[in-house]
Amino acid sequence: MSDYREPTYAEVNRDILRTLLETGSRYWIVFGITATIAIVCFYIPWIYQWHVGLGASGQSRSDVWGTYLSNFIFWIGLSHSGTLLSAVLHITRSGWRKAIYRSAEAMTLFSLMTAAFFVLIHLGRVWFVHWSVPVPNQMGLWPNFRSPLLFDVMAITTYLTASSIFIYMGSVPDYAAVRDASTGLRRRLYTIFSFGWRGTAREWHTLGWAYTFFAVFVIPLAVSVHSIVSWDFAMSLVPGLHHTIFAPYFVCGAIYSGTAGIVTVMYLLRRCLNLERYIREIHLDNLGKLLIALSLIWAYINILELFTGWYSGSSFQYEALTYKLFGYYAPLYWEMILFCAFIPQLIFWKKIRSSWNIMFVISILINIGMLTERFLIVSTSLPRKFLPNAFGFYFPSLVEISITIGSFALFATLFLIFIKWTPCVSIYEVKETLKPLRRVE
Amino acid sequence: MNKISRRDFLKFIGAGSIGAGAGLLYGKSTKKTVELLLPQVIPPEDYSPGIATWYNTICQQCGAGCGISVRTREGRAKKIEGNSNHPVNQGRLCAMGQAGLNALYNPDRIKSPLKRTGERGNNSFTEISWDEALTTLGSRLGNLKIQKHGDSVYLLTGGVRGHIDKLFATFMEAMGSDNYFHYDFTHPFALYEANRIIFGEEIIPYYDINNANYVLSFGADYLGTWISPVHYSLAYGHLRQGRGNQRGKCVQIEPRMSLTGANADEWITCLPGTEGLLAMGLAHVIMNDGGYTGSDQNEWMQAVTPYSPSVVSRQTGVEVRDITRLAHEFMKHQPGLAIGGGHTEGNTNAVASLTAINALNYLSGNLGKPGGIIFNPEPAFPNMSIKRQANYTQMLELITAMTNKGVDILLVHNTNPVFNLPPAAKFIEALHGVPLLVSLSSFMDETTALADLVLPTHTYLEAWGDDIPEPGVGFPIASISQPVVKPVYNTQSIGDIILALAHQIGGELPVALPWTQTEDYLKDSWKKIYQERTPVDATAGFDDFWKAALMSGVWGENKTRPLIKFDRLSNNQIQKIHVSQPSFAGDEKDYPFVLLPYLTQTFYDGRGANLPWLQELPDPMTSIVYSSWVELNPKTANRLGISEGDVLEVQSIAGTIRAPAFLYPAIRPDVIAMPIGQGHSHYGRYAQNRGVNPMTILAPEVDDTNGALAWSATRVRITKTEERIRIIKTDGVTRTLGRQILGNNSVHT
Amino acid sequence: MGKMRDKLKQYLKPGYYEKYDYHWGMTIDLDRCTGCEACVVACQAENNLPIVGEKRFKERREIKWLRVERYWEGEYPNIKLRFIPMLCQHCDQAPCETPCPVAATYHNQDGLNTQIYNRCIGTRTCAVYCPYEVRYFNWFTYKWDEPLEQQLNPDVTVREKGVMEKCTFCIQRIRQAKDHAKDDGRRRVRDGEVTPACVQSCPTKAMVFGDLNDPNSRVSKMYKNPRGYKVLEELNTLPKIVYLKKADSDV
Ligand SMILES: Nc1nc2c(c(=O)[nH]1)N[C@H]1C(S)=C(S)[C@@H](COP(=O)(O)OP(=O)(O)OC[C@H]3O[C@@H](n4cnc5c(=O)[nH]c(N)nc54)[C@H](O)[C@@H]3O)O[C@H]1N2
Ligand code: SF4
Ligand code: SF4
Ligand code: SF4
Ligand code: SF4
Ligand code: SF4
Repeated sequence: MSDYREPTYAEVNRDILRTLLETGSRYWIVFGITATIAIVCFYIPWIYQWHVGLGASGQSRSDVWGTYLSNFIFWIGLSHSGTLLSAVLHITRSGWRKAIYRSAEAMTLFSLMTAAFFVLIHLGRVWFVHWSVPVPNQMGLWPNFRSPLLFDVMAITTYLTASSIFIYMGSVPDYAAVRDASTGLRRRLYTIFSFGWRGTAREWHTLGWAYTFFAVFVIPLAVSVHSIVSWDFAMSLVPGLHHTIFAPYFVCGAIYSGTAGIVTVMYLLRRCLNLERYIREIHLDNLGKLLIALSLIWAYINILELFTGWYSGSSFQYEALTYKLFGYYAPLYWEMILFCAFIPQLIFWKKIRSSWNIMFVISILINIGMLTERFLIVSTSLPRKFLPNAFGFYFPSLVEISITIGSFALFATLFLIFIKWTPCVSIYEVKETLKPLRRVE
Repeated sequence: MNKISRRDFLKFIGAGSIGAGAGLLYGKSTKKTVELLLPQVIPPEDYSPGIATWYNTICQQCGAGCGISVRTREGRAKKIEGNSNHPVNQGRLCAMGQAGLNALYNPDRIKSPLKRTGERGNNSFTEISWDEALTTLGSRLGNLKIQKHGDSVYLLTGGVRGHIDKLFATFMEAMGSDNYFHYDFTHPFALYEANRIIFGEEIIPYYDINNANYVLSFGADYLGTWISPVHYSLAYGHLRQGRGNQRGKCVQIEPRMSLTGANADEWITCLPGTEGLLAMGLAHVIMNDGGYTGSDQNEWMQAVTPYSPSVVSRQTGVEVRDITRLAHEFMKHQPGLAIGGGHTEGNTNAVASLTAINALNYLSGNLGKPGGIIFNPEPAFPNMSIKRQANYTQMLELITAMTNKGVDILLVHNTNPVFNLPPAAKFIEALHGVPLLVSLSSFMDETTALADLVLPTHTYLEAWGDDIPEPGVGFPIASISQPVVKPVYNTQSIGDIILALAHQIGGELPVALPWTQTEDYLKDSWKKIYQERTPVDATAGFDDFWKAALMSGVWGENKTRPLIKFDRLSNNQIQKIHVSQPSFAGDEKDYPFVLLPYLTQTFYDGRGANLPWLQELPDPMTSIVYSSWVELNPKTANRLGISEGDVLEVQSIAGTIRAPAFLYPAIRPDVIAMPIGQGHSHYGRYAQNRGVNPMTILAPEVDDTNGALAWSATRVRITKTEERIRIIKTDGVTRTLGRQILGNNSVHT
Repeated sequence: MGKMRDKLKQYLKPGYYEKYDYHWGMTIDLDRCTGCEACVVACQAENNLPIVGEKRFKERREIKWLRVERYWEGEYPNIKLRFIPMLCQHCDQAPCETPCPVAATYHNQDGLNTQIYNRCIGTRTCAVYCPYEVRYFNWFTYKWDEPLEQQLNPDVTVREKGVMEKCTFCIQRIRQAKDHAKDDGRRRVRDGEVTPACVQSCPTKAMVFGDLNDPNSRVSKMYKNPRGYKVLEELNTLPKIVYLKKADSDV
C-alpha cells in the first residue's frame, strides 16, 4: 500500500461521478441480462402462480410454507447489515465506514424490497394483501394485532421507510454534486433530488443532526425487524421452530449474512467500477474481523439449539433435531455448518483476510450457507410436527426454484439501477476522510 | 334389536312421520318436464326455497338394505343420511351409502337410450329415442314369444329383492322363460348352504352381536363388508361400550388382517382355507372337555374325533395352546357367536368350513337366544332372490347356453359379469352366440359396453321399489324406495321399462302386468301386505297406511318367531360335518403364495369405483387412494428385495397382472392380498384405466359342495419388475414414535 | 363515551373471556370407532369438500376436514392397528388463531374456532401453528364435474384458491338449530338437536357432540369418562375433543 496516493477532491468527484455519468456497453449487457432473468424467472412464474393458485409451488399439506418464506427470511437477513452497520459506525465515528456505507445501505434497501416481494408471492390471495394493513375500511375490521405476521408487516414497512429516508438523506449533497456536473434533463432531475442543496453551513448543520438522529433511530429497528421475523416461527409450537433462542439467532444470522453480503458487493463495485482507491484493505480487514466474531456467535447459537433440543427431553424437539442432522436434508445441514461455522475461521489468518479474492469466495459461501439455514428451518420442521401420521416431505417445484433464482437477478437489477442513480460511494464523506486541504504554495 | 326395540319401532310407525321432515312424495316420477320461462313461478307443493325436504327411501349400494333419508333442496338431492326409523341401520350409514349422490349426479351416466352402431365392444353407440328403444326390444321379444321361443330370453340381474324381483319373475314367466337369474359376486353362497345343512333353512339368521360376550369370527369382516356392515357396526359399538362395564371380546381368525381384525382384541392367523379345520379343532376340545352334554353327544364325539388339537395345529398353523384356549374362552363367555365369512367363503371347502363354524354355535347352545343366533320369522313377502342367485357353476351353464346359441336375447341389469367373472369362464367369448345383448344400466360398465342396445335406468334415488332386508332384524320389516328427485337424465326406472315392454309385447303379458307405472304396481302389491299382515292401525285406510309407510320409509310388524328347537341334529346332519383340506390352483413350488383378493368398503365388488368420493377415500387399512396394490408381509418383501412401490408381476396359472407392492404388516408371509374393485376398462372417468382387477387371474376353482367360485384358491408367484411407482396414500409415518396420541401410556422410546 | 366505559368494565370482569354462550364439544370413543371412515365421507358431503383428483393426492394436497389416522403397534403376528379420527379440536387456546394477520380465524361466542373464508388472505400461518394439522389449504380452485355440483350443500360456501379451510363443527347445523330454537320461542338449543354430519353418520356411535355448558348434556357426561384424554394435551391448547381410549377386554 506504499504506492497509495490519496485522491484530491477533484479526483474524488471525477472518479465517483464517472460511475454515474459514463455508461459503457458492459453495463447495458449486464443490466440486460439481469433484467431479463428477473422478468423470465421471477415475474412470469409469479404471474402464472397468481393465475393457477399456490399449487404451482411445491408446497403441500406436508409443508405449507416452503421456499417462499425461507427466501423471505434470507433476504430480510441480507438486508440487515447495511443500514445497521452504517448507523452504528456513524455513531461511533468510525471513519472507515465512509467509503462503503452507501452501497451497504443500498443493499439493505433492495434486499428488503426483494423480501417484501416474497411476502406477496407467498400469499394465497395477494389481491387482498391490503387487509393486513390497519387502514379504516368498510368492513369495520382491523387486522389482528396479536399476529406476529402483522408485527412483521409493520416492522418491515417501518424499516423500509426509515432506511429509505436514511440513505436518501445521506445522498442529498451527492445529488447536488451530480446536478452540478451534468446538464439538461439530468440536471433538472437532480435539482429536484437534491432539494436545491446549496451547501450552506445551515444546511450542513441540519443534515448533520438529522442524520445522526436517524442513525440512532434505525439501530433498534434493525434489531427488532429480524427478531420479529423470528417470532413468525418461534411463536408457533412447531418442534424445531419453537425456540426462545430464535430472536437472537435470527438477528445474529442476519447481520452475519448481511456483512458477508457487503463484502461481496464491495468486491464487485471495486472491481467493476475501478474504485480501488476508495474501497480499500482497511475495509476488508475490519469486515473480516466482524465476520469472525459473527461466525463464532452463530456457531455458538447453533450448538445451543442442539443442546436445548436434546436437553428438553421432549420427543418432539428431539426428533426434529435428529431429522435435521441425519434426515433427508442432512447433507444440506452439514454443508451449512461447513460454510458458516468452519470455513470463516480461515479469516483469522491475516493473509486470507487481506485477499480480496478469497474473501469474496468466503463471503459467497457464507451466504449460500445462510440460504440453506433458512431453507432447513422451514423444510425440516414443518413436514414433521406432532402427529407422525401427518408427516410428509417437501421439495420445491420448478416455479419456486425459478423464482428463487430470479430474486437474485431482481436484486442485481435494482442495484444496477441504483448505481446509475446515486453515487455508490459517498462523495462528500470520502472527502471528509482526506487530509485537510492546504493552499498550494 | 339394537336400541330400537320392536315396541319402539311400532310407536314410530303408529305416530306416522318421524323426525325426517315432510316426506311427501315427489309427485309422479314420470311427469313430463316442461321448460318454464319463469322457473318455479308455481313451485311444486313440497318445494319451498331455502327449506330442505327429506325423503325416506332405501340405500341400494349393497345388499344390506339400509334405510336412508335424503335431504333435498330446491329439487336437488344434497345429502344422504341414515333413516333413523329403519331398524337395519338406525340412522347410520356407511361410506358407500353416502356416496350414492355421486351415482345420481355422476357425469358419466348414460344419458339416453343407445344403439350399437359399430362392432361389439368398439364403444360406438348412437343415441335413440325411448320409443325406438322400447319398440325395437318389444318387437324382438314379441317375435320370440309368438314363435314360442320365449325361453330363449334370459334375464340376468344383480341381487334384486322385493317386488321388483317379483316383477321380473312375472314378466319372464309370462314370456314363457324360466331363465331369470341373479349374479352377485358378493352373494354368500356357502353361508346359505351351510345354514341349510345345519339349520335346515337357506336364510341368514340374525347374528346378535349386540348382546354377545364373545365374537369368534373366522374371516367374517363384519365391520367392513360382510352382509350388513352398518348394522353389525352398531352392534359392535354396543358390544364394546353400550352395556356398562360388560365389554364383549372379539377374536378374528384370518390370514390377512381385515378392518374387523384390526378392531378385534385378538387377531390370529391360520393357513388360508383352514378356518373350518380350526373350528373342528375347537369343537374337539369342547367335546373332550365336556363342554357339550346334548343327547347327540356321541355322534358329535365321533364327528370331531379326527380333529385333535395337535392334528389341527399342524393343518392350520395355529398353536395347540391357542386352540384349547380359544375353545375354553368360547365356552366360558356365553353368549358367544361363531361366524365365518371373508376368505373362509372363498375356498374349495367353504361350505364345509362354514358348517363346522355353525356347529360351534350349536355346541355352545347359542341358537335362538340373545347374544347368539336368532331365526327370523316369515318375511312379509317371500324373498325369492336367494333361489335365483346363480353361482359360478350355474353361470357356466348360462355361458354354455350362450355359446350354443340357446340364448336369443340376454337382458342384463345391475350386474357386471364381464368384470366380476374370471376370464376363465369365457363370458365375453360366449357373447358371440347371443344375437341381442340388452343392458339396462345407469352406467357404461364393462358388460354394457358390449351391449347392442342400452336402456339407461334410473338410479335408485330416482325410482320406485321396495325391499325386505336380508338378513332380517328378528321381526318382519319391509321398506319402500321412492324417487327423491326428478330424473337427472333421459332415463327410465327399471320397473317402468318392464311394464312398458309388457304392453309392447302384448298377449298375456299386459294381463299379468296390467300396470303402466311402477308406483301403481307397488301400491297394489302393498295392499296385500296391508290386508294380510297386521295392520298398524285397523281403522286407518290403505291410503293412510301407504302414506305412513312412505313417510317412515319402512314398515314393520310386531311378530317374533317361536324358537326353532335344536335339541338334536339328525345323525345324518352330524355325519356330514367334515372339513377337508382346501385345494389351490397352481403348484406350491411354482406359485408359492396364495392370492387373497378382498372386498373393500369403498369399491365393494367394483361397483363403487366410479364414485369420486370413494376413489378419494383413503383405504381404511392402508390409506391408499385411486389405485390397486399388492399387500405382502414386510419379511417376505425383505427376503425378495421388494420395497413399497416396486411394481410386481403377479402370475397365476390363469394369467398375469402388474401392481405396485405395499408392505402390509399384518398378513401371513405365505400369502399376498389384493383389493377388488379397480381395473375397470370402462365405467366412467373416475374408474377407467385405474389399477388392476385381481379377478382376471383367478383360476376357476369351485367349492366342492355347491360349485360356487372359490375366489381365494389361486396360488401365484410374484416377480419384481424394473418399474417403480409412488403409491398414493395419505399416511405419513404409521407408528406413534412413542408419542401419546392414542392415550395408552406407552413409554418414551 | 359512557358506552365505551361500560364495555370496558364488562371486558375487565374476571372470567369474561372464558364464558361462552354455548361451549360445543365432542367425545370420540376409540373403543367404538372401527376406522370405517363413514364420517370422512359424511363431512365431505355436508361441507362441499372438493374432489381434488389423483394428481393432487399424489402431491399431498387433499382436503379432508376429518381424517382417520392409523398407527400400527407391535410386529407380526402380534400386531394391532389403531385408528384415531382427527379433526379440528376447536381448542379453547387455539394456537392457530393468534397468528392470523387478518383475523380470518377466531373464537366465536360459542367457543368454536371459526374460519372466515372470504376474509382469509392465504398466509397459511394458522396451518403451521396448528399442532393437529387439520387445516387444509386450497392450492387451486377446484371444479366439480357437471352435474356433480348439483349435490353441493347450499348452506355452505364453496371455497376458492388461496383460502384456508377446516372443520367448523358443522356450524351451519348449529345455526339452524339455534334458529329453530328461536322460532319455537326457546332461548337455547336442546341437547341432541345439533348433530354434525360426521357424528350423525358414525355406524358405531363413537362420536358424541353437544354443549359443554350444559352439565346434563350427553357430551358433558362423556367428558367425565375415566378413559378420556386429549391428544397432545401437553401443549395446553385446551382441545375440546376428548378421546376415550381403547379399552382392554376383561376376558
Ligand atoms: N346481493 C344483492 N342483494 C340484493 C340486491 C342486490 O342487488 N344484490 N338488490 C336488493 C333489491 S333492490 C331487491 S328488489 C331485492 C330482490 O330480492 P328478491 O325478491 O329475493 O328477488 P329475486 O332473487 O330476483 O327473486 C326471488 C325469487 O322469486 C322467484 N320468482 C320469479 N318469478 C316468480 C313468480 O312469478 N312467482 C313466485 N312465487 N316466485 C317467482 C325467483 O325464481 C327467485 O327465486 O334484493 C335486494 N337484495
Ligand atoms: S351397508 Fe352401506 S351400502 Fe350397504 S345398504 Fe347399508 S348404507 Fe348402503
Ligand atoms: S364413522 Fe365412526 S367408527 Fe367410522 S371411522 Fe368415523 S368415528 Fe370411527
Ligand atoms: S385443532 Fe388446530 S385448527 Fe383447530 S382450533 Fe386447534 S389449533 Fe386451531
Ligand atoms: S391462511 Fe387465512 S386464516 Fe390462516 S392465517 Fe392466513 S389469512 Fe389467516
Ligand atoms: S363436525 Fe362437521 S365439519 Fe367437523 S369434521 Fe365433523 S362433519 Fe366435518
